[in-house]
Amino acid sequence: MNDQAQTQAESREPLLRVVNLQKRYSRGRGWRRSRLLIEPLRGIDLQVHAGASLALIGASGSGKSTLARCLAGIERPDCGEVWISGRQSGYSENAHASGPIYMIFQDCGLSTNPRFTAAEIVSEPLLISNWGTTRERLHRAIGLMTTLGLQADAANRRAGEFSGGQRRRLALARALVLEPRILILDEALAGLDLSTQAQMANLLLEIQRARALTYLWISHDLTLVARLASDIAVMDQGRIVESAPVREWFAGPRSPQGQSLLQAAGAWRSRPAS
Amino acid sequence: MQKKLKFALLGLVLIHLAVLGARFFAPYDPAEQHRDFAFAPPMLLHWVDAQGHLHLRPFVYALVYHSESSAAGPYEDDRSRALPLRFFVESTTTHGNSQSAASGEPQRTNHLRLFGVDSPGEIFLFGTDDYGRDQLSRLLYGGQVSLFAGLFAAVLSLGLGILLGSVSGFYGSWPDAVIMRGAEIFMALPWIYLLFAVRAFLPLHVGAQESFFLLVGVIGLTGWARPSRLVRGVVLSAKHREYVLAARSFGASNFYLLRRHILPETYGVVLTQAALLIPQYVLAEVTFSFLGLGVSEPAPSWGNMLAELQKLYVLESYWWMFAAGLVLVPVFLLYHMVADAVQQAQL
Repeated sequence: MNDQAQTQAESREPLLRVVNLQKRYSRGRGWRRSRLLIEPLRGIDLQVHAGASLALIGASGSGKSTLARCLAGIERPDCGEVWISGRQSGYSENAHASGPIYMIFQDCGLSTNPRFTAAEIVSEPLLISNWGTTRERLHRAIGLMTTLGLQADAANRRAGEFSGGQRRRLALARALVLEPRILILDEALAGLDLSTQAQMANLLLEIQRARALTYLWISHDLTLVARLASDIAVMDQGRIVESAPVREWFAGPRSPQGQSLLQAAGAWRSRPAS
Repeated sequence: MQKKLKFALLGLVLIHLAVLGARFFAPYDPAEQHRDFAFAPPMLLHWVDAQGHLHLRPFVYALVYHSESSAAGPYEDDRSRALPLRFFVESTTTHGNSQSAASGEPQRTNHLRLFGVDSPGEIFLFGTDDYGRDQLSRLLYGGQVSLFAGLFAAVLSLGLGILLGSVSGFYGSWPDAVIMRGAEIFMALPWIYLLFAVRAFLPLHVGAQESFFLLVGVIGLTGWARPSRLVRGVVLSAKHREYVLAARSFGASNFYLLRRHILPETYGVVLTQAALLIPQYVLAEVTFSFLGLGVSEPAPSWGNMLAELQKLYVLESYWWMFAAGLVLVPVFLLYHMVADAVQQAQL
């Protein structure tokens, strides 16, 4: 009875709820800190339901990546609240504060330490959270690597020896190894050739279905967004100006920023090939 | 590993082993005096005797002293007395000279030495100094002081440099400001005068061990500034790498980030610095002991062996007294080869 009530409450409560998140960067030390330079987040309100796939789009510098970093716990927001399935999470330097949100970075070549072997990279989150013994960690890392289509014998190769697509799989395996509920994909498919991109996209969709994951896409590529996302939120100058289900948005964006984004993409595609 | 690095490291290891094993390799105790053989020139090893017979076992000729000095000096080989070289000899050492023995029985110890000659007879392959002490033995024992003072001082200043540099680079903000201003003060400090000042506070005679640790302490503690600035630079660039951010997003502690991701980036710089600092600090010890601020007689160090050369007649007449200066050359070259090879390996 109680259980049922709770599940009901959970289904009404969004998995991720962000209230008035703000972040600003200032220059100077001590008493000069008041000098304001940029304000990438000026109050973000956002709700993502479990199993959804939200795409954050917007022009460069609109604050998408900063939002992602604040949610993943890499940066501390100046103000605002982040609720994950009804529980508030706060930033702290050491604690596993971001909770079950992990992020895949723009450039996977840079986000994996070239000194580490593949197995070390994938099992690093387990090591950090003191999960299991060395053997158990290795076993789990290799298991995940094989499900993501990396050979088990690749475990002892160093990160620098992998191709771009393989490195993305490594980064994905690392993000999945602690079984997160939300995965932030910051331009996760950018810079790959088309066939690899398609492979990765299919892999991500497969994983989402298999593990009931919620995705937060950050992308410039509206074609991919149209294929992969269920909802769209348009960001501009540190605010979310519009959010809508993906079909509705592509039929006609309401905000001028959204319109110009769609127009730009359309203009690009309808440009005659020369 | 490159050939060059292997060669240089092998050379350094051999030199350090020889110095550490001075008790075995040196034919005499460093303080043992042979008053009849002051400033004896280096003896030559012979295989062929005066009659033209070949000997399988090398030998030296005993020295005889002429009161009237000839062009070749006051000593001459006694061709009739060949002293064959004996290996693995059991030798008895009298600690302290005959003067101090007046206070009681001189201490005697027996131990194995690599080579020696049958008594009566002496072997001075690198000559002797004004008390008739064997230069080769003093060189080996003195290396224990000079080489290891450099090594320990470098370990001390690098340890301090890594600690302060990584704190400074990683935490930034006010610790960075405080540590870096401190480093600037230490870089501006004329440390030779600092040592003069520290030495002036201490009593006139300080034991060999105390002065060794004093030297290591002063050289090591004043030298941290440069390595700490280099480490800070590397840490500063490493801490914004994406894999460090990724590890942080998995909840890694600062200690974990430093240990697993950031400090490994500094190893190259630290190794190069070590290979450059050690010879520099060896030279510093030599300089201090040369000036009489370091390890004092009768304990030998390469610096106080060179101090004999402050006397003009020694400088002019007894070329073998430069031995301590000459051994510095290969040591320096080998360390600089290591530094060079390490730097090349990083590129």
